[in-house]
Amino acid sequence: MEYGSIERDILVEASPDVVFDVVSKPEHVQEWWPDEARFEPVPGAPGELLWRDPDTGETMAVEMTVVEVDPPKRFSFRWVYAEPDRTGPSLLVTFDLLPADNGTRIRMTETGFREMGWEIAVLEEAYNDHVTGWDKYIPALGAYVDKR
Amino acid sequence: MNDDLWSAIGDPTRRTMIDLLLAGGSGTATTLAQELPVTRQAVAKHLAVLDRVGLVTGRTAGRERHYQIDEAQLAKAVAQLNAVGASWDARLRRIKRLAEAIERKRDRDG
Repeated sequence: MEYGSIERDILVEASPDVVFDVVSKPEHVQEWWPDEARFEPVPGAPGELLWRDPDTGETMAVEMTVVEVDPPKRFSFRWVYAEPDRTGPSLLVTFDLLPADNGTRIRMTETGFREMGWEIAVLEEAYNDHVTGWDKYIPALGAYVDKR
Repeated sequence: MNDDLWSAIGDPTRRTMIDLLLAGGSGTATTLAQELPVTRQAVAKHLAVLDRVGLVTGRTAGRERHYQIDEAQLAKAVAQLNAVGASWDARLRRIKRLAEAIERKRDRDG
């Protein structure tokens, strides 16, 4: 099996047009992600996601570009560019919205890890096996220690 | 983000070597090569990559270098990898909460 991407699925009890606004409008995006989101939900529009460090007051800006805007079905954007000025490989985040009983199913995919040379998704999968192993063994160890 | 660390464990042969070292406690280029479809020389090169990022530590005993996993460094790598997927889980939960609050408010306001 290939793990070149991260895929997530979540059922939301809200209509697709409400969900579409939440994932694609900067005033909503900054409620669930960066401290500030600056972009126009227009294909090709350059934008920025900003995080502020409350201790140092420093701002970190990450460049992004809106790719697809198809309400209320799909919104996608690129971010984490390897090179400055939105060049080189980048990660592509796509939100697909599917009408479901009582609401909307969001399918989020983030692709491009292999192109970045990171294979994060591959590693995440491989190493979750180890974490599962540790989760299993550490309580067993606790039980063993308790008995002594 | 530490790209060197990620690319070190991005290679499937090196991941298998990590598994073998975790299972066996320690190993040498010779013992690992016996369990892998690659030469001892190739294994030695992979071990050098893992050593450079601190995922394994080696000590010379007799004619061979014995390697074992640096568990702290491996745990750090695992935490970084999981953070990538886990952070999307958290974001999606917040999207869900926000959209459902807006929907409820809209229903209430008619």
